[in-house]
Amino acid sequence: MTGDTNFDNDIRTDGVADMIDNPYASRMVEYTPYAVALGMQYVSSSAGRGTILLPWRADLVGQDGTDILAPGVLTALIDHACGLAIMAGLGFEAAPATLDLRIDHMRPAAPRASITCSAHVYKATRTIAFLRAEAWDVSPDDPVAAAQAAFTLNRREAK
Amino acid sequence: MSNPVDLDAIIAASPFHRFLNIRAEIDARGVLAILPVRDELVGNVMLPALHGGSVAAFLEIACLLQLAHETGTASPPRAINISVEYLRPARREDTYARARIRRLGRRVATIHAEAWQRDEDTPVCLLQSHVRLPSGFSARE
Repeated sequence: MTGDTNFDNDIRTDGVADMIDNPYASRMVEYTPYAVALGMQYVSSSAGRGTILLPWRADLVGQDGTDILAPGVLTALIDHACGLAIMAGLGFEAAPATLDLRIDHMRPAAPRASITCSAHVYKATRTIAFLRAEAWDVSPDDPVAAAQAAFTLNRREAK
Repeated sequence: MSNPVDLDAIIAASPFHRFLNIRAEIDARGVLAILPVRDELVGNVMLPALHGGSVAAFLEIACLLQLAHETGTASPPRAINISVEYLRPARREDTYARARIRRLGRRVATIHAEAWQRDEDTPVCLLQSHVRLPSGFSARE
């Protein structure tokens, strides 16, 4: 029995299998002012997955003399990769907004290293998507940061 | 308490702080951090709203500035982790933040920060931060 008090019980799958590949997902990297300002580059996306590259840049370094990107730069990269993963699966029927985001900084990135972030939706309900993301400089097996996030989907369809 | 730490110098020593054009003022309550609005910070052009990543980065910096102000230590700590909550869209307006040190240990500090725009009692974003303090760090009593 379903009721308003149930938490999205209408979706019993992980919600990701139903997603379709959105060929226009790259636009949310290419046309978002802050993503452009930081120099983010779309790498790839598929249903519920998104990968973005952030090339190293001197004016994004956290501390003079270190040549290491500021942690706050990674925050935007991770948040945006999560948004891309959602848009890649739901297209423009959703207007996702970050509910919360938790980032663990496992180690400093290498000096002058560009960072790649890959995010994936591991569960989507009617209203919420749950994501995990990793960011790395050299290899995804050795991340500089790992993250977990929840987004509200704001699906355009009724209810 | 006189404060020997020059927040403007801390901001000036960080290319990314300069990129965000962070401002800081000190008053009786501590550090008031200011993120002046500009179009490059926008994450949603339809609303429009600031990018969550720019607001979170701003709050993380507010934590660092409050830590430097309270401890009198300018050397930067290292980020361990952050947890951010987005309460409502941040409009395309100037954003303000204050941070509060909830625990200052010998190695790790726990700092909470809030960002708001028109009304401090209506925060747009909350952030919790753990930082690894620089070696040789000692809290000033």
